[in-house]
Amino acid sequence: MSLPCGTRNYNYSEDMAIVRTKTHWVLLIGFLVILFTTPLYLNNYWLGVFNLIGITLIAAVGLNILVGYCGQLSIGHAGFIAVGAYTAAILTNRLEMPFLVGLIGAGVVSGLIGIIFGLPSVRVKGFYLAITTIAAQFIIIWVINHWGYTGGFLGIKVPYASIGGLVFRSESSQFYLITIIAALCIFFAKNLARAKVGRAFIAIRDNDLAAEVMGINPLYYKLLAFFIGCFFAGIAGALLAHWIGFLNAEQFSFTESILYVGMIIIGGLGTSIGPIFGVIFIRILQQVLTVNLVPFLESSFTAFPSGFATGVTPMLFGLVIVLFLILEPRGLAHRWALFKSAYRLWPFSY
Amino acid sequence: MKTKRLVTIIVVCIALIVAALPLLSACDGGGKEDKTLKVGITTPTTGKAAEKGAPMGHGNLDCFEYINNELGGVEGYQVEVVWRDNGYDASKVVTIVKNFMDEGCLMYTTSSSAMMTASMEIANRAGFPGMAAFSSPIIYRPPQHIYGQMPDYGDDFLAFAKYYLDKVWKGSGKPKFAIHALNNSTGKGAIDAALAYADSLGIEILWDGQPGKAFEHKADSTSEMESLTRIKAMNPDVLYISSTPAPTALIVKNAYELGIYPGITIGSGHAGFTSAFVDIAGADIAEGVYGVFPTVSWGDDVPAMAKMTEYVQKNHPGDYEKRNMDYITCWAQSLIVAEILRVAVKNVGYDVLAKGDAAAWKAIEEQGIQKLKDYDVGGLHGPVSYTPGDNRLSKSVRVFQVQGGEIKPLTDWIDAPVVKYEEFDWFGK
Repeated sequence: MSLPCGTRNYNYSEDMAIVRTKTHWVLLIGFLVILFTTPLYLNNYWLGVFNLIGITLIAAVGLNILVGYCGQLSIGHAGFIAVGAYTAAILTNRLEMPFLVGLIGAGVVSGLIGIIFGLPSVRVKGFYLAITTIAAQFIIIWVINHWGYTGGFLGIKVPYASIGGLVFRSESSQFYLITIIAALCIFFAKNLARAKVGRAFIAIRDNDLAAEVMGINPLYYKLLAFFIGCFFAGIAGALLAHWIGFLNAEQFSFTESILYVGMIIIGGLGTSIGPIFGVIFIRILQQVLTVNLVPFLESSFTAFPSGFATGVTPMLFGLVIVLFLILEPRGLAHRWALFKSAYRLWPFSY
Repeated sequence: MKTKRLVTIIVVCIALIVAALPLLSACDGGGKEDKTLKVGITTPTTGKAAEKGAPMGHGNLDCFEYINNELGGVEGYQVEVVWRDNGYDASKVVTIVKNFMDEGCLMYTTSSSAMMTASMEIANRAGFPGMAAFSSPIIYRPPQHIYGQMPDYGDDFLAFAKYYLDKVWKGSGKPKFAIHALNNSTGKGAIDAALAYADSLGIEILWDGQPGKAFEHKADSTSEMESLTRIKAMNPDVLYISSTPAPTALIVKNAYELGIYPGITIGSGHAGFTSAFVDIAGADIAEGVYGVFPTVSWGDDVPAMAKMTEYVQKNHPGDYEKRNMDYITCWAQSLIVAEILRVAVKNVGYDVLAKGDAAAWKAIEEQGIQKLKDYDVGGLHGPVSYTPGDNRLSKSVRVFQVQGGEIKPLTDWIDAPVVKYEEFDWFGK
């Protein structure tokens, strides 16, 4: 990890610290203060968008562990999110279990389903593995639609999240719940990447044969990556279920799965900060295009018939992503790293 | 190098425009009337249901243009429409409805049952009233804060089955119905109605293996040869399709290619039975297909037709050329919304509604929607009334048939009685 000018590590704890300098601490505390006072200056709509970002972030962090760190391409992530969402719904609605049981249960069930669909990773990789995960997406959605316990095509209601007597009804209370869980997930993922498991993942991603020669068990670590990645997806699904209050298989489309891969690519594969950038970028872009751009164009160009601007949204959305991948294929995380390097050396960058 | 610089400049410009949009749109409207009544409208104008969503959005917005410009708004207040394209994306519609609530909208409408299903719990939790143009039983059984503009997909099936038994079926015993259902609430509505009433109607349903499992398809299906081959082997008398126009056309075309049709009767629910279906399937192939639809068709002699035709020809001539009936549905939907606003303003006054908060939503629901009594939508569809325990606002449909490439009505309005699906133990399982 690059450090600011003049900063040296003199022991292992300093070397391992995530927050290293006083400036880091000040920025972190300032960020947390701003984050946790967000409900004071945002309306319910934007809090809702932030909640969606938080939920998406948890799932994207999981996918980043699987794809970014371990190199196991998965294009069925929305399916695993659906498993978590429906597990939480069944546990809390049909079986009337507490929210926390539903949350953990969602993660575990999703993780186990992930292991099942991850088994082909022992034999295949790359695009071939991607095909098997696409199958996961369709099989999961088919089961949800045809299994009576999930409510089938009609869907299933999900109660508010609650811990003890505390019920998370308002958008702001849900914001705190989602933000705290998202922060814990990011912290876990950050540390996982620096631990033995994370290094094994990276070794497998870079060359699984070489990793095996070094004594790393590819089967174990690949399945572990699937479990952890899908566990995160399950947690995200559970939070999504409680946030929306009603589940329907159409909420977990194949397009969403593709979008998740897009998010981690745009953010920066195999970096801890990448999913954060990618998720915020995509979700905010979606909202701005839908809620601001099209209505703005419609109200500005009244000579055109109503509805003329709708085609702009998918076109611009696609254009921005394509341009992004052309100009910065290593993701926003790389751009952020360049910025930090320049800032730390400034004004003596040469 | 020059190219890279140019691309960088383009990207920066796009980023600046996108970043500035919230500010620009916040500044927009400075010249508008101060006293307005806000309503939220979301349609799938893009995405995989755009062939229905686009004309529906046109109908909604054109009608409000007419109401504001020619009728002077509602009770003297301009109606401010907050319109959002949901792209038929269930996750997007959730934030859109939150946006409506935050913008101070008094109620919201969706055109599709799928989008209403995805967003209804958000609205029900907040007590924010909503109305779906096309609906399935799940959105208002049991009744809460969501209303159906027209009868649901289950009602379609029952109305068609009754018509078939009365007017078409000449055989003995029970006619055999195969149901081809879209794999969402659109298809499920017909399946539930069949499950509940097949025995009492005197029809036999050809299930796909087990009772309650219809032959199903996806919205983006490209071939239904396999499912139709299995249906053909079961020798049905009727193939009933509950879907959107493109898959309905595909199924009819595949049935034609397999030699199933002509030879049996094909019926369609209202979500799929529009001019888009005839266009996609081709007039020759679609000839003779029956369908249920809850509105009049273009050119019918009803009071609202002249003004609606004037606007569609002015703003969206393509919808008129295609004789798109979805446009009619949402023109009527906007008229109903305007009537709800009018009744509510009359009953509680503008000041209560102006806040656009929970009290205003309650007033709209209790003093607007629930006070509707025999409102005539210019004859575009059946009369609109609220009946306690039944959140369907219009309760009648008509049976149509494709004749000479056009959709022609065969019946007058047929009332569809309320079905309390929640009383069946299998409902929602």
